Amino acid sequence: MGVARLDEVRAAFLEDLGQAGKDASAVEAVRVKYAGRRSGLLLDLTAALRDLPKEERRDYGRALNDLKQDIGKCLDEAREASISGAAAPQDMVDISLPGMALTRGAEHPVNLVRRKIEEIFLRMGYDVEAGPEIEDDWHNFEALNIPSDHPARDDHDTFYVTGDRLLRTHTSPVQARVMENRKPPIRIIVPGKVYRRDSDLRHSPMFHQIEGLLVDEGISFGNLKATLETFLHALFSGHGVDVRFRPSYFPFTEPSAEVDITCIFCGGSGCAVCSRSGWIEILGSGMVDPRVFERVGIDSERYTGFAFGLGLDRVAMLMYGIPDLRQLFSGDQRLTRQFA
Amino acid sequence: MKFDLEWLREYLETDADADTLAERLTHCGLLVETRDEVDSTEVWDIEVTTNRPDAMNHRGLAREAAVAVKGRLKTLQHELEETTESAQELAAVEIRDPDLCSRYVARVIRGVRLIPSPQWLQDRLERCGVRPINAIVDATNYVLLETGQPLHAFDLDRLAGRRIVVRRANAGEILETLDGLERKLETDDLVIADAERAVALAGVMGGADSEIGDTTIDVLLESAHFDALSVRRSARRFAIHTEASHRFERGADPEMAPVAADLAARLIAELTGAKVCRGQIDVCPKPWKPTDHEFGISALGRFAGLEISASEVERILAGLEFAPRLDGDRVICTPPSFRGDIERTADLYEEIIRHVGYEAIPAELPILGTPPGRRHPNWQLIDRGRDAAVRAGLAEVVTWAFIEPQVDRRLEDWPLCPGKSVSLVNPLASTQAVMRRSLVPSLLGAARETLNQGERSLALFEQGRVFSVDHEGEMHERERLALVLSGGGAGWPGVDRVGFSELKGVVENILRDTAFPDIGWRRGGAPWLEQSEGAELVDAAGRVIGVCGRLGSEEAARWGLKQDLLVAELDLDAAAAEPVLPKFRPLPRFPAITADMTIEHQLDLPYSEIEAAVWDLAGERIEKVSMEARYSGKGLPAGHVRSTLRLVYRHPDRSLTQEEVNEAQEGLRSALSGRFDVQFT
Ligand SMILES: [Zn+2]
Repeated sequence: MGVARLDEVRAAFLEDLGQAGKDASAVEAVRVKYAGRRSGLLLDLTAALRDLPKEERRDYGRALNDLKQDIGKCLDEAREASISGAAAPQDMVDISLPGMALTRGAEHPVNLVRRKIEEIFLRMGYDVEAGPEIEDDWHNFEALNIPSDHPARDDHDTFYVTGDRLLRTHTSPVQARVMENRKPPIRIIVPGKVYRRDSDLRHSPMFHQIEGLLVDEGISFGNLKATLETFLHALFSGHGVDVRFRPSYFPFTEPSAEVDITCIFCGGSGCAVCSRSGWIEILGSGMVDPRVFERVGIDSERYTGFAFGLGLDRVAMLMYGIPDLRQLFSGDQRLTRQFA
Repeated sequence: MKFDLEWLREYLETDADADTLAERLTHCGLLVETRDEVDSTEVWDIEVTTNRPDAMNHRGLAREAAVAVKGRLKTLQHELEETTESAQELAAVEIRDPDLCSRYVARVIRGVRLIPSPQWLQDRLERCGVRPINAIVDATNYVLLETGQPLHAFDLDRLAGRRIVVRRANAGEILETLDGLERKLETDDLVIADAERAVALAGVMGGADSEIGDTTIDVLLESAHFDALSVRRSARRFAIHTEASHRFERGADPEMAPVAADLAARLIAELTGAKVCRGQIDVCPKPWKPTDHEFGISALGRFAGLEISASEVERILAGLEFAPRLDGDRVICTPPSFRGDIERTADLYEEIIRHVGYEAIPAELPILGTPPGRRHPNWQLIDRGRDAAVRAGLAEVVTWAFIEPQVDRRLEDWPLCPGKSVSLVNPLASTQAVMRRSLVPSLLGAARETLNQGERSLALFEQGRVFSVDHEGEMHERERLALVLSGGGAGWPGVDRVGFSELKGVVENILRDTAFPDIGWRRGGAPWLEQSEGAELVDAAGRVIGVCGRLGSEEAARWGLKQDLLVAELDLDAAAAEPVLPKFRPLPRFPAITADMTIEHQLDLPYSEIEAAVWDLAGERIEKVSMEARYSGKGLPAGHVRSTLRLVYRHPDRSLTQEEVNEAQEGLRSALSGRFDVQFT
């Protein structure tokens, strides 16, 4: 007991107050502990005065008074500095309530993907082209080296409309139209709706493609590889994908290449999405077949070029993890609002 | 297509293990899709593209594999033991249509027995997805899977006159095929006939009458080459797809017929204890002729983007049996009979590049000689509309471009109907038989589905094309944007249920952001829209470019919609090609004075006329006129409303006084009274 005890209490008080910081209720708890009217520590310390020898009472009393004043002053300052919860509770805004704002609009995932791809190719100097969805047989098939009775037509279950017209089965007819009307160098991409007479989990009678074409002097297969690698790295940036080129067959390109990326779900180790192969088929491509050039009136001796195409819906499904193609065309705003 | 690895290796000399083999095949264009271990071997499912019928058999695949892993293809042994009896004396073959059948080889085998084939052979067939039947049929299928040559065994005794005649069918000729169906033939169909009637659909399927059976003793084995297009047309018309038609359609090897005939004859003799008669009957009116091709190795290197050595070119072409001859930079080669797909230099480049390996070619970006990319005006236009709708808070949906004919017919009443509708000749479903002339019906369907899911409010749009045909048969496509609003709540603070004014606000924002020219509003849209809340939007030329309003109750009932819906459709093609740049106006330097004016008038006096009159009559200090409040009901006669207008007055060069404004208001009141039947309160 004695003055030493007072110094202990002072030190403990300062530490407690320091810990309470700017929290008003914590400061109040400190007040109750030390200066509370019924059970505060200061009451005990005052009571202890009586038990002290007379010669010590004077010094102790003076020191106790100093302590009381200091505690009082510190508490006042701390209370002022703290964020007061006590002021006018009836006007208090519950800041945890949800905010109110106009609902934001949202674009369909297929268009989000389309614009992303357009952006990449615009930067590489490609024009974005458009063409009719109701096509003629020449532009959809013949000009692209797919004559009637060609086995490749089996892959194009075609919708026919009144007269000799059809719903385009791919965006490639726009390539043919551009090549008929423009001299090389040609550097275009063509996004758009296409139609095939097919409907199941992986096929839908209407879907979206994007097509690309580059025609110039001296274009090589190495140019095709670099362009598509650049594109796929930009499109799947963040996934760090590897790109693989495999020989394949399309009637309008020679040689043709199927392009795979490492599976973005398993990183290439194999999962259900990639059928355990670690690779996902993402686009078809190839060097433009000279027969196509001849059909649309471009000198195949002088010019070479490459073409490629991919499904926008498929990319959207991969990117956003949408399992069923047909859900994209359900017309349900709840799908789109997830991409606001 | 399924391959048996053990079988494949019988033709292949290599140290490469299965993993390497699968990887190299995939890299040269024969994608190994799946690998299954079966007994002591593996079954590989390989995607063989339609241009490569030569690789749709084990030997052909082995040839590719040999080049891919730098191994060797073993030679095929096809010598066989023959009796002294000559086949020529037992049967005859005549080709009447050499344009559709360039070669027909027949073998005669005597004393066959209809027994099952041994287990090892049945296993191989089954691994490749072919059902074992009996030793004779199995032998033909085995040789097909081995060499790619389709074969057919006829019961010789059931061929009238012991004769084979290859000819076009007679119109209306009937053939019962092996599957038990009666086929009515056309003159385009090529048939195998005996002296009297058709006994097989050439290259597609055999006939039931000449099928081998329990009583068969002598067999005539067919190994022929048929025209791809002819087989394809017949197979398509009768919807028959067989191992034989699959290969003929894509182009079989014209030189394989005699080899495969011997292989199959030997196998049948071996399995059934029968004897093969001496000699082939080989009728070949159009022998295959090889063609030489020439190209430069340096040109190939420029095309590939990689210098390829002469020895590598030679190795690949020799391995593929193209018989290359090198002379400096020049290569002359002769594609073999089984590579009908090789027609020109680009095809040869492909052969070499795919075996060099796409991965070996360095990637190098092309050097641009073109200006920066530009977006087609149509894309600029529709994305402007799309952006405008998104900015207005709407969610984009995509729905089918085809609709039901009954719904399409009602669109004749839709003010934005573009012309006659375009129907599909072969729709997938009767509900998807017509190309849409408006986006609204599919949006109503989508709205109903979403509301049925328990959603309370809708704010969605679609951008897409509508289709029509004019009386000259010309097809037309127009870009549209349509939207649906319903409910209220969070999207519209303070609004429980959106109404016409919210719809109009959204539409006006879209019109402005999409850069539509000046648009007028007039009543319309019935019966699709409620008569009291429907509007047509017209441009300066009086053409309707939009429709906007509350869905009529009859139409709502048709769609099973219980909740009020507001719809609009805009013809985006009517918007300006380029948006006009806004022009800056200096900010005012002196304060404005605001004054309200409450006018009581009849409901049939439109607000737009009142506002126009205010602009006309209020003098030059008026800066802004807006609608503040509208009241109808208690205290007003029926058909009357009270409109409160808020007017903002400002002078550009000094502060106005309240007195000046009061005076202007007073003048305006009396001027309005003079023009309309109105009262002021
Ligand atoms: Zn995976």
